[in-house]
Amino acid sequence: MRHSTDLLAKSPEAVLVGLARGGDRDAFAELVRRREAWIRNLMRRCCQDATLADDLAQQAFMQAWRSLRQLQDVARFAPWLKRIAITAWLQHKRRSDPLDGASADVGAAPAEASPALAMDLDRALATLAEDARLCIVLAYHERMTHGEIAEFTGLPPGTVKSHIRRGTGKLQQALAAYLDTTEETT
Amino acid sequence: MSIDPKLQALFAQARRVFDRDAFVRDVMALVDRERRRTLWMWAGLSVAAIAALALLATPVFAALSMATQLLPVSLVEIETDWLRQLLAPMNSVAAAIAIGVLLLRKFLRRIL
Repeated sequence: MRHSTDLLAKSPEAVLVGLARGGDRDAFAELVRRREAWIRNLMRRCCQDATLADDLAQQAFMQAWRSLRQLQDVARFAPWLKRIAITAWLQHKRRSDPLDGASADVGAAPAEASPALAMDLDRALATLAEDARLCIVLAYHERMTHGEIAEFTGLPPGTVKSHIRRGTGKLQQALAAYLDTTEETT
Repeated sequence: MSIDPKLQALFAQARRVFDRDAFVRDVMALVDRERRRTLWMWAGLSVAAIAALALLATPVFAALSMATQLLPVSLVEIETDWLRQLLAPMNSVAAAIAIGVLLLRKFLRRIL
């Protein structure tokens, strides 16, 4: 079935999910259009590599397309998609060589609202261990609570808490110039 | 809570804007490829199922018709009418097979 692009663009997400579950390609394309920036930003912060981030985001959307019928509540599409994306990242992390991070493509940034800040933030995140980075990204990028992060990643709550405390300290040091500016402007 | 609100604000400011159209095109190309693959797989399975039915239909039908002819055949010829009718459920190839299966099952249960 073909829908007009305008109609799909105006439709609520739950409607699009319902249509995509029935195999509607255009509805799924609209879902990808709406959620791509969020998932790509999330993956970019997690893995510090633009190409890998886009590959993982693509994998996440493909997995979503395959498993949409398993999604019980159409209103929960966003958290469900986020879980798929994080799982894709965790699986990649388990498979890949720990030295792979050395070749991270931090510099190749696309257009962004604040290029220098985004690059410095990526550099600061790159200094964190992968588990700590994931906890920090989920806490600051996704605004998830410690409990949610522990449930999401399978890490003990105490570990999550200490990763976030230490990671926050490191980021505060690395991004002190930006934080001071924020303080001055507020 | 160890979350720094200023750091959180920096994360929000640092969000990137990507080339949306190219990404959507790539994802949908993968989706289309998967849809085509699924379609071909179902088409292949349907053809295989139809071919299997066509090949096996004749022997299966022949076996079934042979079985329906063979199963009611009496094992022992009984002259007396009322006795033949009384023993009919027991006095057939089907009954012999059924009794054989039950005995075999009982035997297997005992030894296993």
